[in-house]
Amino acid sequence: MRLPVLNKSAGACSKSPRPAHPGMTRRSFLRRGAVATGGLAALAASLSPLRDLDGTDSFSVQKFLQKHYKEMSPEEMEGALDRIRSEVERRYEVRPEIRDIKAMDGVEFVYALNLSRCIGCRKCVHACVAENNQSRDPEIQYIRVLEMPRGSIDIEDGNHHYDRPTVPAEGHYYMPIQCHQCANPPCVKVCPVEATWQEPDGITVIDYDWCIGCRYCEAACPYWARRFNFSKPSLPKDELNPEMSYLSNRPRQRGVMEKCHFCLHRTRQGRMPACLEICPTGARKFGNVLDPESEVSQILKSKRVFVLKAEVGTLPRFFYYFDERDPFSQMTPIPAGTEGGS
Amino acid sequence: MTNPEAPSNTPGREASHASPSTGAAPAFNPGWLLGLGFVVLACVFWFSSGGDPTPGAPTPAFDVALLDAGQRTTLLTDPPTVLIAGFEQRCNACHKLFESDSDGTRPLTQHGHIELAHGLNDRCSNCHDRDDRERLVLHDGSSVPYAETATLCAQCHGPVYRDWQRGTHGKTLGAWDLTSADAQRLSCTECHDAHSPAFPALHPLPGPNTLRMGEPSWGGGHHGARNPLRRWADHAHDGAHEREHEHGDDDGGEH
Repeated sequence: MRLPVLNKSAGACSKSPRPAHPGMTRRSFLRRGAVATGGLAALAASLSPLRDLDGTDSFSVQKFLQKHYKEMSPEEMEGALDRIRSEVERRYEVRPEIRDIKAMDGVEFVYALNLSRCIGCRKCVHACVAENNQSRDPEIQYIRVLEMPRGSIDIEDGNHHYDRPTVPAEGHYYMPIQCHQCANPPCVKVCPVEATWQEPDGITVIDYDWCIGCRYCEAACPYWARRFNFSKPSLPKDELNPEMSYLSNRPRQRGVMEKCHFCLHRTRQGRMPACLEICPTGARKFGNVLDPESEVSQILKSKRVFVLKAEVGTLPRFFYYFDERDPFSQMTPIPAGTEGGS
Repeated sequence: MTNPEAPSNTPGREASHASPSTGAAPAFNPGWLLGLGFVVLACVFWFSSGGDPTPGAPTPAFDVALLDAGQRTTLLTDPPTVLIAGFEQRCNACHKLFESDSDGTRPLTQHGHIELAHGLNDRCSNCHDRDDRERLVLHDGSSVPYAETATLCAQCHGPVYRDWQRGTHGKTLGAWDLTSADAQRLSCTECHDAHSPAFPALHPLPGPNTLRMGEPSWGGGHHGARNPLRRWADHAHDGAHEREHEHGDDDGGEH
């Protein structure tokens, strides 16, 4: 068996009766075949991460060719919404009511939060998660509630991992922080692809299909309000909120940023944000600051209001305020029978 | 047998003989390296894929029923009714018959569920009209229906009443535009229990658990406040430093 090979490699000096097929003997055929098969198998296996792609992660030509939000014509937007509808339906088996809801004229949204009333129950945190289709595992929360020692306003003293049998705790107050929808937003300035911008009603939004996941905005935000989808968002099918809009709570994919958007799919239709509706103490106030009679305008006029990190010049649209101390909360009842003494 | 013949070949033949054997290695090796690369890549992906690269604890489960707005009652009708033995009764159906204790300090025989914790305001007849139990009484002796509880509360809670009128206290649900028909302004007793108006303490729902949201505090530490950002802080050193500081303060006090 060695002779034909040697003869073949020896070329003209071959004495073999068989004609020398250039490059094709049984051995070379088997060897090349094995290499080719193995190579194909290895190639297939090396593409195995594609197995994990489905639903919103899947590549589609339509998604690839989709334009920036601001450059889409109404027809193109409708096409994009159709694509999202079918993707959501395929993955969650729910037909979503998704729309592209535009900002209202003559409206600038402002949030106000009463630190005297907040008790730190974190209901707003989870109402937000339920409303906005955030990933449940790992859970993404837009609102962070800091437990602050009384007497300090330095958020470095805050603890957002407090876990107590009951709140509020003695000697503490609570400061929820979410996106402040700054009028001078550093997150918008740093975005290299303009995937995030400020809308006419003051809400800073993200086009999740345009975001490249560089996380510059997360680093730029002084309020630590932006969240990144490190892994594919996991959301149980029965917990999906089908009422969604393009710029707010439609399901996100892995590798994009997200953050609070003042529930714009609710507020741009006149409703209140989910965190406000759930708040048991009425610490949260929301409204149109351009309307002088709105509750937030009244708060800005009549209350002691401050913004967080005013010195960084971000001009937040999220205000904190205090009440006067209620004198009655400091008094104790007069024991029965001593009434006549006074 | 063929080897001895090889040297007898011409140099050109020898060169042509040598070039396939030596040239085969460079022509063949890159292919092998490429294939090997694929195999390595395949092994890496095959054994690593499926694992979630995101560190983070699983979300603690909590009772979804806790996700409500908490203590909210519906306003009493006017005239108010009360459920006694399964029947809706008007207040005056009983109170016309029984003389009420004017002092209001003896234990209640009826309405036992009422827990009175309203600070100084610990007499029934401070708010309830003794002559007509279906109305509330103001300080000046005039009476208001139950629907106007805010007028009664305003007698003591002036600043809060003022804030409530402006919209800076209390809750507005449904719509942020106050002129909208959907806007629902809640009044005092829709959030507060009139008999114990302080807001009850609640169990907090689970906090953040993702890595980018910081590490859990160490049980609150000895002073309760822990910087969640300072993940690699030397906690022992902090504690020792603070103890030294306190010690120094004590010494200073003694001197």
